[in-house]
Amino acid sequence: MPAIRSLGSAARGAKKPPAGFEDIRDDLEVFGIKMKDAQNAPTNNVPKHQAQWPVFQVAHQRSRYVYELYYDKEAISRPLYEWLLKNGYADAMLIAKWKKQGYEKLCCLRCIQTKETNFQSTCICRVPKAQLKDEQDVQCVSCGCRGCASSD
Amino acid sequence: MLKSTYKPSSALPPPLPPGWSEHKAPTGHTYYYNDSTKESTYHRPGAQVPPTSQPPQPSNPHASFSQYSSVPKLSDPAAANAFLAQYDPARQRPAQSFGQHGRGGYRGPGDGRDRPRPQPVDKPKSKVPIPGCEPWILVYTKYGRRFAYNPAKNASYWRMPEKIMQGVLELDINGIKDKASGAQADGKEKPGTTGPEAKDAAEVEEAEEQVELGSDYEEVEVTDDEDEEHEGGEAEGDDQHPSKRQRTEDPAEAMAAEFNEDDIADQLRAMGEDYGLDPGEYDDGNPDAWPEGAEGLPFSDADARELFKDLLNDYGTNPYSPWEKLIEEGRVFDDARYTVLSTMKARKDVWEEWSRERIHILKEQRAKEEKKDPRIPYMALLQQKASPKLYWPEFKRKYRKEGPMRDTSLNDRDREKWYREYINRLKQPQDALKKDLMALLREMPARALNNKVLLESLPSQMLADVRYISLDPKTRDPLVEAYIQTLGPPPEEAEAEEDEASRKAREDRRKREKALEERERSVAEEKRRQRRQLEHGKAALREEERELERAMQVGKKGLQSQLMAAQEKSGEVLVTSP
Repeated sequence: MPAIRSLGSAARGAKKPPAGFEDIRDDLEVFGIKMKDAQNAPTNNVPKHQAQWPVFQVAHQRSRYVYELYYDKEAISRPLYEWLLKNGYADAMLIAKWKKQGYEKLCCLRCIQTKETNFQSTCICRVPKAQLKDEQDVQCVSCGCRGCASSD
Repeated sequence: MLKSTYKPSSALPPPLPPGWSEHKAPTGHTYYYNDSTKESTYHRPGAQVPPTSQPPQPSNPHASFSQYSSVPKLSDPAAANAFLAQYDPARQRPAQSFGQHGRGGYRGPGDGRDRPRPQPVDKPKSKVPIPGCEPWILVYTKYGRRFAYNPAKNASYWRMPEKIMQGVLELDINGIKDKASGAQADGKEKPGTTGPEAKDAAEVEEAEEQVELGSDYEEVEVTDDEDEEHEGGEAEGDDQHPSKRQRTEDPAEAMAAEFNEDDIADQLRAMGEDYGLDPGEYDDGNPDAWPEGAEGLPFSDADARELFKDLLNDYGTNPYSPWEKLIEEGRVFDDARYTVLSTMKARKDVWEEWSRERIHILKEQRAKEEKKDPRIPYMALLQQKASPKLYWPEFKRKYRKEGPMRDTSLNDRDREKWYREYINRLKQPQDALKKDLMALLREMPARALNNKVLLESLPSQMLADVRYISLDPKTRDPLVEAYIQTLGPPPEEAEAEEDEASRKAREDRRKREKALEERERSVAEEKRRQRRQLEHGKAALREEERELERAMQVGKKGLQSQLMAAQEKSGEVLVTSP
């Protein structure tokens, strides 16, 4: 049976972050707090499909933050980036999509999973605003995205 | 806006009748309790005495709400008045004397009866037809504000419309005159009050001048607004509500009346500065007085971008932080430079560019900085904060926010080890510590520690040692200094180093030369071998040629003899063979 680790011992057992982590630690902590809040927020009076929207949002923001630090601003080193991915600070699968043309702003992976929809299509938020009829303001069911087409 | 401008009374109330004491209910309401009759009431007993005025408490909840809730819309007279009232320097004195009536100790009987009172609502109270501007009427509200109302069009305005301004002014002047004559007839008036009235009148005249400038008449209303506060609160206490005209006799009026146009302009400017606005961004009525360039010089795009970057620099923004954080914090919104870029997209672009530059600069700086031993700050922290009274977990928890405690280049286990070591050393006698320090000093190589070393620039090797920090600086520093003075000069450090470098270079060179020699030797050998082979080949060729020549020189005789010789040989062979 594996040893039960307290928070402190987990931190001691975990590999320590590469250099440069101090710069972004505070912001990541803020994201962590936001995520905790989103997870612990009561969902009694929200529609069932909306319950997870805030969680998706925070996850997206945090992934985006790490992605931009590494790919856009080149502010963090590769070892640190990999450490962040390994430790769950960013969603590597989502970042992998962002690198592809047409998926630069993708909100979540569920929104491009065509097999899960009735008509084998992507989510409504993937449709460019220009192609939507009569300027409707939509929020997608899976993550509450209001539109993440690259052309928007 | 109606609620935000309401300020409950905080005027100094009249002293309570004997036996009554003032208390605060848990909900924050004040109530009064009579010790002898065991009676408690919200209404202030003995409030029939005409109240002395006192500036309102700046900390009253509504005022502070209106102060923070929104940037004031100065075009709204009510809001402007409320703000002016708050910014009046004369009113900044807090009402200290408020709690003098034995508030505090006893909070007992506020059990179930106190529940929050309904929010006071302003209501129209009286109306006066405006002379010469029928069907307009001037309506006074319960809290002493007033607005113009047109029953024909069913329209009402807080701000007096231009066309009825004249009528309202007339009405006011008449009212003041009436009051002045009434006051003289009354005779009970204090002598000081005529001053403010004169000022009031002057103010009205000033306002009349302002009408041409397009400034709004509501500014005169400041006076009404001022006393409305304490009046409105008083109305709760007792139902005796003196009419507006009588109210002007209050000393509060005297103070408020000194608030003239210049003051208002000053206040506006001050508020504008508080909110980071240029004079051009709010209209203070006289565009000539604006400082140069306040109308907004046209910025070039590059200028605007640079300005925005300056803003980011000035607010100490972390370039590693996400854009959302900057927006959520909202500190930059108040800065005028925030508005030089008009769209959020442009701002974000500039922010991105700025953060990229900034991160680059930071990186370069860090590369330049020498690597400092991470133990040194930790040891310094230990020396400052550690005490035998704290166990390691307590210490760790207490100072977890400190930089050295969060430094990832140090291990928590090491930190704990050093902490324990340090604490153990603290328990040792001074002599032992001193001995240890001397041992440490003696350990230092002459290159690191010599008589040229200053106390401020001790070698890091020493600073990071537990033995160094375990003595109090007061006793330690003289010791170290004395020891340093006994030391000799530094060894020829630079030379030695150079020697080393040159030796290394020489060695390298020798190696290289050796390698070259070897190579040359091998090449030469190869060449020699080739030459020898060549010569050998040539010799062999010459030999063959000579043989050929010899064969050619053989004559007939020679040939015969040769053949003979050959026959002999073969005959011999034949003879011998059978």
